[in-house]
Amino acid sequence: MLNHLQATPTPPKRCLVVGAGGFIGSSIVEALTAARVPVLGLTREDVDLLSGDGVPKLAAHLAPTDAVIFAAAVAPTRSASQLVDNLRMAETAIAAFARTPPAHLLYLSSDAVYGENGAPLTETSPVAPSSLHGMMHAARELMFRSSVKAPFAALRPALIYGAADPHAAYGPNRFRRQAAAGEPISLFGEGEEKRDHVAVEDVADLAVRMVLHRSIGILNAATGVATSFRTVAELIARQHEPPASVVAVPRSAPPPRPLHRFFDIAACHKAFPDFHFEPLERGLARVHRACRSRAGEVARG
Amino acid sequence: MSPTVGYAGMTHLGLCSAAAAAAKGFSVLAFDPDPALVARLAARDLCVREPQLVELLAVHGGRIAFTADPDTLRRCDLVYVAQDVATDACGGSDLVAVSALIKRVASAARDDAVVVVLSQVPPGFTRAHQQADRPLYYQVETLVFGRAVERALSPERIIIGSPDPAAPLPKAFAAFLAAFACPVLPMRLESAECAKIAVNCCLAASIATADTLAELCERIGADWSEIAPALRLDRRIGRFAYLTPGLGIAGGNIERDLATVVSLSGEHGTEAGIIRAIVANGRHRRDWPLRTLHAELLARAPDAEIAVLGLAYKENTDSVKNAPAVDLIRHLTRWPLRVYDPVVPVSAAPHPSVIAARSALDAAAGADALAIMTPWPEFRELAPVALATIMRGKLVLDPYGVLDGGAAADAGLDYRTLGRTRVC
Repeated sequence: MLNHLQATPTPPKRCLVVGAGGFIGSSIVEALTAARVPVLGLTREDVDLLSGDGVPKLAAHLAPTDAVIFAAAVAPTRSASQLVDNLRMAETAIAAFARTPPAHLLYLSSDAVYGENGAPLTETSPVAPSSLHGMMHAARELMFRSSVKAPFAALRPALIYGAADPHAAYGPNRFRRQAAAGEPISLFGEGEEKRDHVAVEDVADLAVRMVLHRSIGILNAATGVATSFRTVAELIARQHEPPASVVAVPRSAPPPRPLHRFFDIAACHKAFPDFHFEPLERGLARVHRACRSRAGEVARG
Repeated sequence: MSPTVGYAGMTHLGLCSAAAAAAKGFSVLAFDPDPALVARLAARDLCVREPQLVELLAVHGGRIAFTADPDTLRRCDLVYVAQDVATDACGGSDLVAVSALIKRVASAARDDAVVVVLSQVPPGFTRAHQQADRPLYYQVETLVFGRAVERALSPERIIIGSPDPAAPLPKAFAAFLAAFACPVLPMRLESAECAKIAVNCCLAASIATADTLAELCERIGADWSEIAPALRLDRRIGRFAYLTPGLGIAGGNIERDLATVVSLSGEHGTEAGIIRAIVANGRHRRDWPLRTLHAELLARAPDAEIAVLGLAYKENTDSVKNAPAVDLIRHLTRWPLRVYDPVVPVSAAPHPSVIAARSALDAAAGADALAIMTPWPEFRELAPVALATIMRGKLVLDPYGVLDGGAAADAGLDYRTLGRTRVC
């Protein structure tokens, strides 16, 4: 559940985005700028949270009136060393925040923190991660919440897609790349798992709203609509002429159990009644247009 | 000789119970420490709305003396502490007032009078309040909002908690209970207190089962309204089982007992996951109207106007405790809203600019969506064609199925109800 310390949306004096060079962080900087919130975006080049001078460098940028969005991570977290690095980054930030506590802290987390019991996920679902990535976010949430003397909120997005996604993880982003390269879109098994896919622009919009309301608590960034990977693949395949082929690749491991992941998004309706997520089909079409336009620019350049 | 019976605490429980005792022919003394409330009740200005209550008091009220003077309790052979126990939003009980009332009654009543706790108290409460010079009994209240008079007059059984269940009940107490002509089950105090919780947990389990399967029916093409009658004919389930799908659990009483079980299990290390699951399921189903409104209308019509019929948590009561309508309206403050309830004043709607409609049709006029949030009998008389004519939009949320779904679809309404897929 989310509570707003400011019922009326009011911009902070400045919003500091840590991890502004990343996929989500850069979208948040764009959204804050569009909302006329003064922004300072910090990338790894500005402050390396894993270097010895990370604490003083970050602290030097901080002001007590800042709202801070922490979106920096080594992602996805697949190894023990990546997990430890991510925790060290949080440790550095916490040490800097101890010197200058911000006015508000928003942590960009993940729905990977939740366990898998098959029930529609809500913000009160048990945190029981089954992956290093989920454990990393759960641990960092706890580190920030317990150590930073500032109103704290966490935003837990479901699977994020967007034109600028650099990871090509299984799902819309990989499917789009495969189709654009003229390759078949490959599915694990029949791609029957249903997941909640959310546009990065919607995640950024929610982050901005949470900053403007100085929200505290937890909010999931999920659309409430779960779509199978096969449906996503077919939507993307049809964006191309001729349509890309979609092929089933035998699974190397058993399908996940439970197979699907649903969200109950009533808390989002309650927190931000006038906010609505972009429907997946429309969002994928928008991303396709953006990618084609970008490819055209590259070709012309 | 017929005992004189006192009731202390003139909230819903005390008033309905006192009226039932008078109807059984007993001389009744109805005490409340609030003189203003007593004056209102003496003038038959009832703060409680229950079917048959006004009529019952009109016929038998002459046997009831309302009083704010505790000393008059000395006339009673039997005194019930019958004040409703208030709960918070999580179902937690505030027992301070009932504890104080017990002390007040115990000091005012005659030494030979029997004192019985009828209030909703948790296991251990009555034993902890035993007096040195007089046993304190406990009786399970089984009133149901909207059917309180019927339940008070004709209980299916009476459960009594006694400090010594092997000993016969005092004569005045036994004589009074005999008037209800039903089985009387004396048991340990803690057993009786737990029996009330057990009843409500069973009811909650039925509600959660119906709600769980109704939601599934909505997704798989089944119709819960076809299934429920079959269950009622199963002797192991029964014709009176709580099988009508709804928006979780409301009203406060069942929630209280669920919260008590969770609290006690935490205290004593017992497993109560099923109760937590029931609570979680209720929260999920409660938000069905909000989710549906957003998904089907508000996401594409930011200027929509909404009408809500019904504020009470169920029909035939003016209680809005945990009412789904109130919860829904709390999250619709950005949209113009018209509300109509036959009994509950519109001031109960937490909305800054709510418009009080004069009737159901008046509320629906010009609305883009209509949500029928209480199954009041008069809403069943609404003609879908009339709604379709008077509304601007077509979306009708009818969780309790007060309208004929087929007729609503025929009238061109986009009709949504619990337990079945969209009616086209």
